[in-house]
Amino acid sequence: MRVLMVEDELRLAENVARSLEEAAGYAVDIANDGEEGLFLAESNPYDLILLDLMLPRLPGVDVLKRLRQQKIYAPVLVLTARDEKESIIEVLNAGADDYLTKPFDLGELLARAKALIRRGKGQSSPLLRVGDLQINTVNRTVERGGRSIQLTAMEYRVLEYLAHRPRAVVSKTELLEHLYDYNWEKFSNVIEVYISGLRRKLNEGSSAQLIHTLRGQGYILQD
Amino acid sequence: MTHSIRQRLMSTMLVSQAALAVGLVLTGVFYTHRQLLASLDSSLQGRAMSVAALVRYPEDNSSTLVFESDWVPLPTDPKHPDLYEIRASNGAVVARSPNWRRPPLRDHGHYGEFSFAGVPYRYLHLENVPVLDREESPANAPSALDVLYASPMIEIREQVWTAGAYIALASIILLGATVWMTIWALRRGLAPLQQLANQASLISAQQWNFHAPAEAQQLAELAPLTDAMQMMIDRLRQSFMQQREFLGNAAHELKTPVAVLKSTIQSLLQRPRTPDEYQARLAQTLEDVERLEKLLRWMLRLARAEQWAYGTLQRNLESIDVAATCQSAIDAMRSLATARHTMIDFEAESRVISRADPEDLELIWVNLLENAVRYSPEGSTVKVEVGRNGGNRAQVVVADQGIGIAKEELAHIFERFHRGDPSRNRETGGFGLGLAIAKALVEAYGGTITADSEVGRGTRMIVELPLST
Repeated sequence: MRVLMVEDELRLAENVARSLEEAAGYAVDIANDGEEGLFLAESNPYDLILLDLMLPRLPGVDVLKRLRQQKIYAPVLVLTARDEKESIIEVLNAGADDYLTKPFDLGELLARAKALIRRGKGQSSPLLRVGDLQINTVNRTVERGGRSIQLTAMEYRVLEYLAHRPRAVVSKTELLEHLYDYNWEKFSNVIEVYISGLRRKLNEGSSAQLIHTLRGQGYILQD
Repeated sequence: MTHSIRQRLMSTMLVSQAALAVGLVLTGVFYTHRQLLASLDSSLQGRAMSVAALVRYPEDNSSTLVFESDWVPLPTDPKHPDLYEIRASNGAVVARSPNWRRPPLRDHGHYGEFSFAGVPYRYLHLENVPVLDREESPANAPSALDVLYASPMIEIREQVWTAGAYIALASIILLGATVWMTIWALRRGLAPLQQLANQASLISAQQWNFHAPAEAQQLAELAPLTDAMQMMIDRLRQSFMQQREFLGNAAHELKTPVAVLKSTIQSLLQRPRTPDEYQARLAQTLEDVERLEKLLRWMLRLARAEQWAYGTLQRNLESIDVAATCQSAIDAMRSLATARHTMIDFEAESRVISRADPEDLELIWVNLLENAVRYSPEGSTVKVEVGRNGGNRAQVVVADQGIGIAKEELAHIFERFHRGDPSRNRETGGFGLGLAIAKALVEAYGGTITADSEVGRGTRMIVELPLST
């Protein structure tokens, strides 16, 4: 999953980004002002946008409205120091999906981020099931037929993304765009390496193939 | 206890109307009494003369005068007949009414009053009335008479009383009518005031709209009040909004560093770290705490300066040299200026003395200089001038050759938490409180601070303080 954090307080942005990377395995891009945030959100497909309201150059509410006008429907979690009702109502009505007031709890932020991401992808349970495969997105564990499977961090991220969109064709480019922040060099053959690793681990003690390759189009996770 | 305008007006009106009525009754009674008395007096005169005319000389040669009592005029009041006595000049009684009793005569004047058998009488005393007889007077008969004639006044009293009662009754009816009209007029007249009060009572911190009732606005007495209320409400709303904005800004400014601290500590606790990691993050945390501490210090400083501005704290101040405080501020800014290759040029008139706390003045100059140095291009010069303006004001000008401030922004630079360029504040580490503090302090000393700027050319901050003698 790839998250955009728009926040002018650098230290806070870094802390949240680090936390999302460490505890949830998300790729995080940071924008320090409203304009940069808008530009990044317009040019990259984010699974979640964390948006501060008091931003230099372009206020958070304006960023939000412009995004929704341009039909960018990524879930937006607003982080605000203002906790007056009017302000909260305004941001929710401008198209925000949720809000948190500063100072917030990182654990709560993580839980809300996960909830918004899975809602955005049409899932309601933190337990994702595809056939006999079960992925627990809370503590990031994977089981198949009751057997626990140990995955590397990148393998888990690939699987988690696929599992959020079961039975849909997911291209290599889409995977690259959603798994790396923009500081990474993107090599599509890296994805192939992770996919083959995943296939091997998932198929241990099971014959049914879960990850299918559609030549020239991408991958599908289904039983 | 409340006083009511209506009650006051009513009681004033009642008292004056009652006084008028009483005056009217008294005047009426007095006038009627006078008129009746005058006519009584003339009738007394006539009656006295007519009884005197009934005196005849005697037919014989005796010295006794004769009174023709058959021709005595009929009394006006049969129950209380007139009294009369006629004496000859020699003292002999010529005639007397049957019920005669001599009244106590006064030494001067012809008229007098007395009471006889419980009835008030008025008398006329005529002396030296000639005997009106066509006959020759006998040689030894007296030729002059002394006439005393008295009539009862009981009728006059009754008439006066009736007249008084009539006037009093009329007054009371008129008084009642006036009271009713006044109550009606007052109710109508004070209605706009009630409407105004109703409108005013609708105003609250959430609801600042005030529409003065049209009727109240058209009244000469209420128009100044509605105008004053409108202005007062506008001022209150403005200061309330400013206060609310300040609170919102203060909350934002305080919550952000706390959010940073909290997130740093929570992310540090997320998993076990190496000692190096702990150390690095704790050092960061300390920095953040120091920034928070600085912010708190500035906010308290501002609050204190504003308290002085409202005169809450009275202080004994000494006269100090303004130029000396400028010099210390320049010394304090020297390292920043050197780092940015900025020159600070200082010119001061001698003995510009003001009554102030030197630390406060220094803080004002430091805040102004810090902005001037930060927003100046490297290698430029910041000018500080200390002088007098018009003899009774000390004037300090801090001028830079920096980027300048746009006109629409110039109006806001003294607002709390206002920042010239929001994107720069994190780097420069400012909170947007420096100029607000400077303004509050300058105003606390009865001075003024103004800014004069041209984009691209630079900014002049002008501070004026009262001189001390």
